[in-house]
Amino acid sequence: MKEYLTLADIQHDLRAGITTCEELVGHYLARIESNRHLNAFVEVYADEALSRAREVDARIHEDRAGRLAGMVLGVKDVLCHAGHGVQAGSHILDGYNSPFTATAVQRVLDEDAIVIGRQNCDEFAMGSSNESSYFGPVRNAADPDRVPGGSSGGSAAAVQAGLCHASLGSDTGGSVRQPAAFCNVVGLKPSYGRISRWGLLAYASSFDCVGPITKSVEDAALLLEVMAGPDEYDSTVSTREVPAYSQQLEWKGTARIGYLREAIESEAVEPAIRERTSMLLDQLREQGHVVEPIEMPLLHYYLPTYYILTTAEASSNLSRFDGVRYGHRSTEAKDLESLYKKSRTEGFGDEVRRRILLGTFVLSANYYDAYYTKAQRVRKLIKEETERLLTQYDFLVSPVTPTTAFRLGEKMDDPLQMYLADIFTVQANVVGAPAISVPNGTDAAGLPIGFQLMSRPFAEEHLLAFSNYLMDLINAAENA
Amino acid sequence: MISTTLQPAEVTDELLNKYETVIGLEVHCQLLTDSKLFTTDINRFGAEPNTNIGALTLALPGTLPKLNKKALEFAVRMGLACGCTITRRTIFDRKNYFYPDLPKGYQISQDKAPICQGGGILITTKGSDGKPVEKTIRFHHIHLEEDAGKSVHDGNDTATLLDYNRAGTPLIEMVSEPDLRSAEETGAYVTAIRQLVRYLDVCDGNMEEGSLRCDVNISIRPWGQEEFGTKVEIKNMNSIRNIMRAVEYEWRRQVALAESGGTITQETRMFDADSGQTYGMRVKETMNDYRYFPDPDLCPVELSDEWMEEVKAKMPALPNELREKFVNQYGIPAYDAAQLTDTKEMAAYFEELCSHTAHYKTASNWLMGPVKSYLNETGEDMEAFPLKAVVLAGLIELVETGVISHSTATQKAFPALLENAEQSPRELAEANNWLQNRNTGELETLVDEVLAAMPDKVTAYRKGKKGLLGLFVGEVMKKSRGTADPKLVNELLAEKLK
Repeated sequence: MKEYLTLADIQHDLRAGITTCEELVGHYLARIESNRHLNAFVEVYADEALSRAREVDARIHEDRAGRLAGMVLGVKDVLCHAGHGVQAGSHILDGYNSPFTATAVQRVLDEDAIVIGRQNCDEFAMGSSNESSYFGPVRNAADPDRVPGGSSGGSAAAVQAGLCHASLGSDTGGSVRQPAAFCNVVGLKPSYGRISRWGLLAYASSFDCVGPITKSVEDAALLLEVMAGPDEYDSTVSTREVPAYSQQLEWKGTARIGYLREAIESEAVEPAIRERTSMLLDQLREQGHVVEPIEMPLLHYYLPTYYILTTAEASSNLSRFDGVRYGHRSTEAKDLESLYKKSRTEGFGDEVRRRILLGTFVLSANYYDAYYTKAQRVRKLIKEETERLLTQYDFLVSPVTPTTAFRLGEKMDDPLQMYLADIFTVQANVVGAPAISVPNGTDAAGLPIGFQLMSRPFAEEHLLAFSNYLMDLINAAENA
Repeated sequence: MISTTLQPAEVTDELLNKYETVIGLEVHCQLLTDSKLFTTDINRFGAEPNTNIGALTLALPGTLPKLNKKALEFAVRMGLACGCTITRRTIFDRKNYFYPDLPKGYQISQDKAPICQGGGILITTKGSDGKPVEKTIRFHHIHLEEDAGKSVHDGNDTATLLDYNRAGTPLIEMVSEPDLRSAEETGAYVTAIRQLVRYLDVCDGNMEEGSLRCDVNISIRPWGQEEFGTKVEIKNMNSIRNIMRAVEYEWRRQVALAESGGTITQETRMFDADSGQTYGMRVKETMNDYRYFPDPDLCPVELSDEWMEEVKAKMPALPNELREKFVNQYGIPAYDAAQLTDTKEMAAYFEELCSHTAHYKTASNWLMGPVKSYLNETGEDMEAFPLKAVVLAGLIELVETGVISHSTATQKAFPALLENAEQSPRELAEANNWLQNRNTGELETLVDEVLAAMPDKVTAYRKGKKGLLGLFVGEVMKKSRGTADPKLVNELLAEKLK
């Protein structure tokens, strides 16, 4: 079967009668089956997807299909889907079925997307390698000994390996962009509040964003357009009008681009990544864009701020998983206290426990001001610094990650090294700005490299248009 | 150190008077909103267990809170009524702790920027001279928060049942300054709050069903001492009377302890209504660290001028405003005004009555007398009182114009009207032949007959035993079988006895 880059190509062939949704779903089901070793899916809805495909085919035939007809999606195991399991890659939610559907999922379903299954991820979206999942690690299709990144590792690997056309992931500190970079696909983290969080299992409420993982910027734009917008179930979602992103993908004129000098000079960034990034910046200069190095004096505070605030929120968000009303309850419990302790100890993995403990500590009475209050202040400063830069530049760019995909197990014993994988991505979440990861070639070993662009909050139309243009530029250079 | 421990009941007034009692209250009121504080689940007392529990009430993964604007309005209403400063940018915080009846593992409450700050409420108690004493009890703040569910122990100690219907019910918590000094003041304070929340229609004030609950913080200190003593928190009082009993007991207990050389420990004690005593809870008291922090799922709420004006425009008249109005506009005594403003239904009825009759004081007497007796006997609220104000005003007019006597009105006409509220008082009186005899000629005959029958008494009266007048009036009334107008009889007798 033909490899489709965009939904538009699929829809062309559907209309032309060259293929059907049923055939597409059958194809992806076969791909999933032959790629079981990647461990990208936690659960596959084979029969359901096939029967839905037949319904959508009928609607296409009657010329009344939705805008996402032909889109076969995988959904990260953190988004609720009525009547389906959802457990955030955790043992603590064993057997839990959601009675309702996340707004983001509902909106793609309403446009006739077909959900083929739920995808593996780091437990409660906490991780950068997809190794903290209760369902075991996901493997990178470019090299199965390597990680796909995380936390949306299953979602990125599934698109990379052609197990579905696109995925819905979530990004709290880079969880969509970093695995997209490791897996050679496009990952978009929209502005905070652009897409409703209703039905998204919370990790850190003031950072969490739903985001698409696709093969093209065009599809990312279309998915964002469908999912974004006001929602009565989420008080923090923006009421701003949603532009027709998919109709505004043509970039015109020159852009002002600021890049982090460290990103192409620091020893901590792998040489191949520095090289590819520099090459791309040169190309942009050649195209007449203004490309300048920028200083981010607060760079060293990004990760500490991120980890203090996200763990604080997580420690509270995860309190509801107590073994009382749903999910895993320890059979060893003798009284209330042991019910809590044993259920949670058995139910949560190491990384989640580590973050709950960290968060509980930073919120505790004696340390609250030293950590939480201070981190909130620094967050404000980082916002101001970033906003200032974004008034001078249209886009702030960097590599997505300092390294390419690392080996399974390589960083599991060193959380601090693991956390450094997020160094370039957390800024967008700390400030609530949109950012995208686009494939920027590979290193000598064929491991993918990602390039990140960030724009002003709620300027996704510019970010997407420029990324689309940039991908054409990268592809043209590859083919030259 | 005194070896024998003094019992609370043995504490003499002399010992009690060595100490000042300092009391502060936390009063929780469940708000009468249709839905819960952060979800559209129904908010109703008494439903079958676990029937009003949607995804958010159960804290299912992926749910998010959405503020019920009505609850916010109710809290602001209470704040405005109490002269609080309304926080125009209010924030919700998470109070983190584990308990099975708390589904999220945290309670959404307000810590740093509660909706109302400052303000207070006026209480009236009886002074040592019997005269009313007014005092303002200051609020520290009022905050909004959600209620927890209920744990029900099934009696055999092996299982705990959970009912989450109540979880998420909106509450306002009024936290007072430690301004109260006695059980009487504490009772008056809760009474005033209950009256106000009912006036404002924000809470039904039902303490037995737990829609109004309070925790009492109490400490003692020797008179003149600046710093506060160690405070003890008392819970589990389901009536104002029990709150007062609890304060009274705890006061004695603390004095007894202090006088025996003991130490008062900071703790939470439960009041037992059967014994009238407070008991320490037999659980290990650990310092709870609630790890308050702003709830990232809820944006700070900004109250616009426009919205504030709308809330203000909807404010009903408050009891103290009505008291003033009744005294100034209707000229009734302050005591009457306080009685009539006890409930807003009574106050409204009085006002309506006054729109139909100008005999305001008489109207007040009717409400405080026969009407209140009727309500007490039947256990009904003023809302259920069968007589329309215009009918009662008609009856009052009949008495005031001398058409029927007061006693006929209260003893015969009023009960008859209660039986059949559709009748006109005048037609009723006419049909029953209750109209007073105002025929001077007929009455003169009766007066003459009575005086002629009691020559000795007449002589005695003329010699100065003026008290006998009542006897003569009574005799004339008897002869007229109650139809005579007493005023007229008095006048005639006075004339004849000159």
